[in-house]
Amino acid sequence: MSASVVGVRVPAHERTVLENGLTLIVMPRHDVPLIAFNAVMRGGACAQEPDQAGLASLVAGLLEKGAGRRDAFEFVDAVEGVGGTFSAGAGSESIAVRGQFLARDQQLLLELLADTLLQPRFAPQELASLRTRQIELIKAARDCDPGELIGTYGRAFLFAEHPYGRPIMGSESSLARITHQDILAYHRAHFGADRLTLIVAGDVDVNWLRQEVIRLFAKWPRAARNCGKLPRPLRVTERRILLVDSPGSTQAHFWIGNVGVDRHYPERATLDLVNALYGGRFTSLLNTELRVKSGLSYGARSGFTRGSVPGEFAIRSFAPTEHAGKALDLALGTLGQLQETALTADMLDSARAYLLGQYPLDFETVADWAIAMGEVELYRLGTAHIEAYASQLQAVTLAQTRNVIESVFPSPDAVAVVVVGDARALRPQLQHCGPLTQMPLTQPHFACAHA
Amino acid sequence: MKKSFGSPHASVMVPATVAGSAVASMPGREAVRTATLANGLKVIVWPVHHIPSVALYNWVRAGSRDEQPGITGLAHFFEHMMFNGTTRRRPGEFDRLMEAQGGANNAFTSDDVTVYQDWFPNTALEFVLELEADRVANLAFVPEVIESERGVVWSERRLHVDDNNQGLLSEQVQAAAFVAHPYRFPTIGWPADIRSWRLTDLQLFYRTYYAPNNLTLVLAGDIEPERAFMLARRYFEGIPRQEPPRIARVAEPEQLGERRIVLRRKAHTPLIQYAYKAPAASDPRAPAVSLLLSILVEGDSSRLHRLLVEEHALAIEVGGHWQEGFDPGLLWLFLTLPEGADIAEVQRTLDRELASVAQHGVTDAELARAKNMTAAGFFRKLATIDGKAQLLGEYEVFHGDWHKLFEAPERFDRVTRADIQAVAGEILERRRRTVGVLEPQLQERSA
Repeated sequence: MSASVVGVRVPAHERTVLENGLTLIVMPRHDVPLIAFNAVMRGGACAQEPDQAGLASLVAGLLEKGAGRRDAFEFVDAVEGVGGTFSAGAGSESIAVRGQFLARDQQLLLELLADTLLQPRFAPQELASLRTRQIELIKAARDCDPGELIGTYGRAFLFAEHPYGRPIMGSESSLARITHQDILAYHRAHFGADRLTLIVAGDVDVNWLRQEVIRLFAKWPRAARNCGKLPRPLRVTERRILLVDSPGSTQAHFWIGNVGVDRHYPERATLDLVNALYGGRFTSLLNTELRVKSGLSYGARSGFTRGSVPGEFAIRSFAPTEHAGKALDLALGTLGQLQETALTADMLDSARAYLLGQYPLDFETVADWAIAMGEVELYRLGTAHIEAYASQLQAVTLAQTRNVIESVFPSPDAVAVVVVGDARALRPQLQHCGPLTQMPLTQPHFACAHA
Repeated sequence: MKKSFGSPHASVMVPATVAGSAVASMPGREAVRTATLANGLKVIVWPVHHIPSVALYNWVRAGSRDEQPGITGLAHFFEHMMFNGTTRRRPGEFDRLMEAQGGANNAFTSDDVTVYQDWFPNTALEFVLELEADRVANLAFVPEVIESERGVVWSERRLHVDDNNQGLLSEQVQAAAFVAHPYRFPTIGWPADIRSWRLTDLQLFYRTYYAPNNLTLVLAGDIEPERAFMLARRYFEGIPRQEPPRIARVAEPEQLGERRIVLRRKAHTPLIQYAYKAPAASDPRAPAVSLLLSILVEGDSSRLHRLLVEEHALAIEVGGHWQEGFDPGLLWLFLTLPEGADIAEVQRTLDRELASVAQHGVTDAELARAKNMTAAGFFRKLATIDGKAQLLGEYEVFHGDWHKLFEAPERFDRVTRADIQAVAGEILERRRRTVGVLEPQLQERSA
């Protein structure tokens, strides 16, 4: 492998914290006449009450549906009329408004963003139509691509009552409960200057932009409430299975997970190397067993979701219904293999070269940088999180990988498993795997014990 | 592919975006260099140095358009086999070596082409070119691997078609829309064909289509063109030129009446798809067709989204796609309806609106919006080495000359409201369309 690969350097940028607590990052870059922005509001799905799954998503969706002097149609006409993009979405721990405009439209961009955050209209009829549409989109996903929903079932099954277990987009039943009052209450409690990090990257004048942001946002008060701390989720200690019945499916999707690590996990480079070898790239152990050697599946992948507290480690794959039990056994077998078989120096070098070689591709455009800096700020990682990564990868030893495998990767006997497929054909294949709970795919929620 | 295949359902809900700009001219033309090897292989290089990485696209002029009944899906299956060993390297070595050098790869097959993509650090340039040349020159066909890969393709078919109502419906619509032209074949292949193609089919396909004179190699990224040409000569020039492939001569006869496919499936969500006969990629009307589609379905301010989703709540999603190929293909509209929707009412509203576009045209604001969205989308794409390699390749392969990429902004800018109305009148004609409807069967819903 090549030891000379250079890491990624964070481009020059200015970071300013206004008196009201708003953090502004401006990263000028003039090679393309584009500006990308990312406005990250701390809070998100974890800030809502347990029975309000989907509230933060609806709040985010409504941010695009009229603000300031523009109603929903006028707002989207203003964005798309100049070829801009502007979208808001909720995550577990934030609501983010993102987009890109041509550089000539930067004044408009700031005006629309300030209106959205400070003066959203939250019109009741927009809520009604967005809520109905979200419910229908979940139903359409159940019809057309149940695999898309398996992570939501998996997190609900694994995290149970923990906030990470609640579906971010909501469920048909939880969305139906959300009222206009809930939307206004969320906005009052969780929107405010101290919750916002605004990143603007691209063809901008730093001084002009800073002055404009001060003019538009300096009088914005802090949020009414503090952002609470999340409890640490508990790992599952035995294997249990949730079977989601989709009669007539020719294929079964499966998800295998347990609680992993958080954003500040100190052995991140080691973890990424081991995951690349286990299930994070095409030649991984997992994909080799399920696709390359057996031809049972089109693909199998594993990965970690990392939040301010540990999110999930999860494996995802799918196989024809008649071979699903065999494919699941193979996948579980690879977890055992990982624990029992030593990695070699060659394997480690290959994974290192792979991660080093692919890393710069994540930091190519101004939009990439706006997203990356948003994560750095949201989780308070510091820019060393990006810049020191290459040297951390270079330094990882085999002994470190052993430690990470034993302490973080789950044993095949201690995992939550979700299978979505034709229960009649699947039950006999899954009986030996552990205690099995079954629910129909048509239930209007994702938790197996409906709260 | 490897990870996805490119027929209409792969891009459901993603409006076509095509290069174009009403805003600024496109930089970079002067940096692009080309070379044609003695065996006919053309190499195009766009050097840019903002990250130490390279994107490589190897365009093979072979897709499901080049198949016959009985071997449908072969071009796509072939794409899988290109990762499965050469006379010099065992199955799986390609991926193993690529990843150990820091590279990642993918590939896709469409009706017209098969494209192999690599993304790698600049230090791996020579290595990757040698790997790519090896599989063009020396592919091995190991019988056990063929059988195992058949299983992988089955899994892919079930994922995207058999268990996916949009995919299933669009496969049926496409098959009904053409009576003669091979565009009627699904790129993934009919189930019986996936089960039955043989080693000799693969070998013949390889000899015919994976010849250097049938390929275009495009590289964008942190490299010097002369070095790339030197390495391409070193590894590719020894591969012999072949007789050019038989030109697909079938012309689809004029469609004389609307065709209709109705599927009844257990589902909540009704679907409607319209597939209109539309021009080929190289047609002079192409910019107008692309802008028409943008006006109809791109973004929340588009006509059909606003009318059907926002104003009347008749649909929950509206999308479209123009299959820009070598031959005249299809312009698709996709609608996802809410549970319990009155399908006939939705169709009446949709038809009224489409007729109105053909009769009355579009507004200045709509055209300006579509031009701006196209231009901005174009800049966003060109901001990446991947987008550069893709666009250069698309213009070279489908428009006959990569230079046309840099003329695209002007061509889009010249489109007038009259041009849009004219193509709307020509394309959005009932007798030249195929309609697909998925009607949910009654089922109990536990709520």
